[in-house]
Amino acid sequence: MTRQQHPAEALGRHALSRRGFIRTAAQAGVAMGLASAVSACGGSGGGSGGAVTLQLWDTDTRPERTANLKKLISMFEAKNPGLRINYLGLPTDQYMQKINTAIATRSTPDLLTPKASDLAALVAQNALAPLDERLKKAGLEPQISEQMLKSSRAAAPDGKLYLTPTTSLADVIYYRADWFQEAGLKPPATWADFDAAASRLTDASSGRFGYTLRGGNGFFGQLVQMVYPRAGVSTFFREDGSSTLDDPAVIAACEKYVALFGKQTARSDLTADFKTMVAQFGNGGAAMLSHSIGSYPNHVAALGAEKVGAVAPFPGPDNQVLTGWMTTGFAMFQKSEHQEEAWKFLAYTMEPEGNSFWAQKSGYLPGNKTVAKEKWVTENAAMKAALDAAAKPGVVTLEQPYYLPEFTAITVTDLLPEWQKVLQGNLTPRDFLTAAASALTTAKRKYDKEHG
Amino acid sequence: MSSTTAEPVRRPPAARRPTGSRAGHAYLLIAPAVVLVLVFLFYPVLSVFWESLRHHNLTRPLDDGFAGLDNYRALLADELFWRSLRFTAQWVFVEVGLQFVLGLALALVLNRTFVGRGLARALAFSPWAVSGILTTTIWILLYNPTTGIGHYLASMGIGEYGTSLLSEPDTTFWALVIAELWKGIPFFAILILADLQSVPLELYEAANVDGAGPLRRFSAVTWPHIRKAVVIATLLRAVWEFNNVDLLYTMTAGGPAGSTTTLPLYVAQTAIHDQDFGYGSALTVTAFLLLTFASMVYLRISSGDSKEGK
Repeated sequence: MTRQQHPAEALGRHALSRRGFIRTAAQAGVAMGLASAVSACGGSGGGSGGAVTLQLWDTDTRPERTANLKKLISMFEAKNPGLRINYLGLPTDQYMQKINTAIATRSTPDLLTPKASDLAALVAQNALAPLDERLKKAGLEPQISEQMLKSSRAAAPDGKLYLTPTTSLADVIYYRADWFQEAGLKPPATWADFDAAASRLTDASSGRFGYTLRGGNGFFGQLVQMVYPRAGVSTFFREDGSSTLDDPAVIAACEKYVALFGKQTARSDLTADFKTMVAQFGNGGAAMLSHSIGSYPNHVAALGAEKVGAVAPFPGPDNQVLTGWMTTGFAMFQKSEHQEEAWKFLAYTMEPEGNSFWAQKSGYLPGNKTVAKEKWVTENAAMKAALDAAAKPGVVTLEQPYYLPEFTAITVTDLLPEWQKVLQGNLTPRDFLTAAASALTTAKRKYDKEHG
Repeated sequence: MSSTTAEPVRRPPAARRPTGSRAGHAYLLIAPAVVLVLVFLFYPVLSVFWESLRHHNLTRPLDDGFAGLDNYRALLADELFWRSLRFTAQWVFVEVGLQFVLGLALALVLNRTFVGRGLARALAFSPWAVSGILTTTIWILLYNPTTGIGHYLASMGIGEYGTSLLSEPDTTFWALVIAELWKGIPFFAILILADLQSVPLELYEAANVDGAGPLRRFSAVTWPHIRKAVVIATLLRAVWEFNNVDLLYTMTAGGPAGSTTTLPLYVAQTAIHDQDFGYGSALTVTAFLLLTFASMVYLRISSGDSKEGK
């Protein structure tokens, strides 16, 4: 009798042969996965024909910027046959997690576009390669703006150069050139001019205010921009590590700044963020606005270049303090196996060709001094104002302590509600600044203790 | 003698206890589903619990380590945590209450027969179909001091220029409530209307014959029918509103002066912005436990009422 095969047995037999198949497939899958992971996630490699492929991780993946960065890469590749750069955009809100994982698993790429505020965490893990010696050897140092070099070094906790001073932002005060002209006012050149213009150009009954004050997200940058230069205080910390936010001159300047609220500004400025301020300025709601050079194209698009003027923060009692000089650039990882090749790209971003393209497309100040003389820079009112101010003798750049791990948490999350209480009149500027100084002093002393 | 021995009953193979190899086979077959559930459901939840017991701040990578209950102790002493919890309770209570009352009223109106009812229903439900980010953008533009409705009212002599409902301490909360109601009312209306349509018309006819007025018809006929839907809808909506981050974050970011910071918003600020995942996880676990407890209590009370009602 032929034994009839039970379906389950049939399945079992079939499963045995399938197990072999699954095992083979799994092994192949794992091998393929590992191969692709090795090639895509970190770790540069030598390509065919001796070509070197570098991995670049980008932390700012706005579509337009990505397209420009890819163009910069292709320009570099065309100039350097045998070198290739693989671009990988990281999610904006999770890039530090990805980088930290790569550092922990020793799978870092060659190149990175860190923000100045990321340097503290990266340098603490000894992840980035210092660039000071390479910059000197390449003879690039004299070609680079001193302010930007200083800002780049100041962003790192040990004062070394990790971030190329490729481009930079800088703070300016924008003003409605047409309104000033109509009112017979000259462009403001002093704090007294600023105060007078803010009052003169305010007409609340027609929805026009002299100034728009940032009370919402990102308020701290504007506060620093409007208070430190006026106070003439050029450092964030005293020699003993205490914060200068409670300096009497800073408190006095802050009181003047706060006094603008609700009188020379709209009351809705209590919650104004970048977009609200730009909309107010662009829609004829405000005569003056403090922001970085980066927003110049927005104002020109809304009003036309002839109606937009820009001046650097005015001199204080002793000297002129510049704010907002925040470098944006590139860095390379300590564990890169192709440091020479990676440096070639970093150098390219600071040399005239690469620097001119990248700075112009980004709308930022170029780090290369030759590029800073190009027409597209000198015709930009905001860039011209920032560079002219920086060229004056005796100017000092105020460096914000981005290297402090708690800096962002204190100035963005913790202080925002307190700042809004100040504007609402529920907290005095003195109490606000004293508490803020105390928090930053504690963070600074903790940091100094940990880093000797 | 006839044999009384009964024939052994043959059980179908499926009812047999599977032998070792067959059981293994069965487990193998369900393994992918089990692995998927473990990986995608339990692992993230457990990892948040684990993170809450650690110091994990991305800006201080060298300080990472086991924290025990430190994060929870810090939370109990954190004034912002308590303030955000109070505001969350206020937000959930007001939002769900108003959405329910207005949603019920809308459903009752749309359940009646009138000319253009189809169009009215489509219009009434359309806000629910609008994406969250678009909803907030619409309301941000409406409240914008230079381009919004306040500006146009000021130009007509109503109110002042340079003001916004989102910036005034007395109006911020209600400005947010209105924006969220716009999207929330249709949710209740859809669910309640679906249930209303299943109420047999004979019951209303019988109630009419008995001389019941509108209120009596509602309490004796309508409410018992829609009650279960209302319980589920309010619970779902309460959980939803508790976890509301998109609208509040986009419109006020928790301000002004922290007055509209809910607990999930505080979590977002702590974990995402300040990159303190240890403390952020402790806040998340606490919110999760509070929400679970509140949901259980609510369902218990509702089921108790239901039994009494029967």
